[in-house]
Amino acid sequence: MTGAGGYDPHRLAGAYALDAMDDDLERLRFEEHLRTCDECAQEVRGLTETAARLGQAVAAEPPPGMRAAVLAEIGQVRQLPPTVGVPPGGRRLSRRGGAAWWPRVTAGLAAAGVAASVALGAVAVRTQDELERVRADDRGVVAVLAAPDARTVSATAGRGATGTAVVSRSQGRLVFVSSGLAALPPSQTYQLWRIAPGAIRSAGLLRPDDSGRVPPVIVDTAGVEQVGVTVEPAGGSAQPTTRPMLLLDLTSA
Amino acid sequence: MGRVARGDHAAFEEVYDQVAGQVYGLVLRVLRNPAQSEEVAQDVLVEVWRSAARYDPSKGSARAWVMTVAHRRAVDRVRSAQAAATREERVARLDVRRPFDEVADSVERTLDVERLRRCLNGLTELQRESVTFAYYEGYTYREVAELLKVPLATVKTRMRDGLIRMRDCLGVER
Ligand SMILES: [Zn+2]
Repeated sequence: MTGAGGYDPHRLAGAYALDAMDDDLERLRFEEHLRTCDECAQEVRGLTETAARLGQAVAAEPPPGMRAAVLAEIGQVRQLPPTVGVPPGGRRLSRRGGAAWWPRVTAGLAAAGVAASVALGAVAVRTQDELERVRADDRGVVAVLAAPDARTVSATAGRGATGTAVVSRSQGRLVFVSSGLAALPPSQTYQLWRIAPGAIRSAGLLRPDDSGRVPPVIVDTAGVEQVGVTVEPAGGSAQPTTRPMLLLDLTSA
Repeated sequence: MGRVARGDHAAFEEVYDQVAGQVYGLVLRVLRNPAQSEEVAQDVLVEVWRSAARYDPSKGSARAWVMTVAHRRAVDRVRSAQAAATREERVARLDVRRPFDEVADSVERTLDVERLRRCLNGLTELQRESVTFAYYEGYTYREVAELLKVPLATVKTRMRDGLIRMRDCLGVER
């Protein structure tokens, strides 16, 4: 169930314009790509315009109270200034490839759990528990995603659980995200493992949100051949005690 | 949109009247539930007011921008509302449905819609299904691939070349 994929960003404009990427990492990487690839940026523009026509075709009469409700609400909503989300001098995030223009950039980041701190350029490394877990260093996440040698590996488990790792050998790191993880009872937790020949080490506990998504986790790839997810007793284990529900083979990446 | 960005309520009302039906219709098409759709459409329109200053005309028309926000929100709602099991069920249930026919039959036959219909008919079946399942049903390409029993890479490609063909057929400016 594990598949390695070469990453060919130039063919993703259609899926992107249709909001059909189900993988937040892939979407983030494509948005990185749009900043530097004029061809794709232009194509996305035309295809987004085209997708909007599909939307216009299904126009329907809005409910009678909606207009008044919206007009009342905007009276209480503060408008954003044009530069919100862009750090001083942070032009890179503001214009090229339309990153600031696209509403989904922020939506995508939020969905991926990277939060607004990426857009703000903030670096936040949070360690958690005694487990040596380096969690979503936001800038680190973007660095891995944007690395020229980044490769994607993903695996699925029954019931729609998906684990995806974007691996960059040049960065010596991978970014792991997961979605579709079922809620566990309080007595259990998901745990991520770095698996090297003869050594399995914890890469931290995974805490899915209400929609079953796990925020990006950065994992050091030195010597690591696989990463896996198991269900463990609350608080985690020193070594896995159950069979991995997700197992990603990095050797092919 | 420039006036909206500067806090001009009257300008926003004009924008509202031009796009509200399209926003609501699209959200309703994706969500199917009128009460939820009203709530989401309302959020979208407030978001247009809130973020108007971020709209950059060099990146596309204001209408496309609004529709992008609307589609994104509708799809986010569909995906977050769905536990994995429900999604599987949804894929299974939709096996026989053809969203394009449904759309074509339910909308008013304006000239634009006729043209859209003609352009959709100009696509291969796989292109048409890839585009319409993604756009109108909020499916990811992975779900579309599963549904149509074709490889992921094929679906990505069909979404792209299908939309490109639509773009050229509709005469959308590049
Ligand atoms: Zn490109």
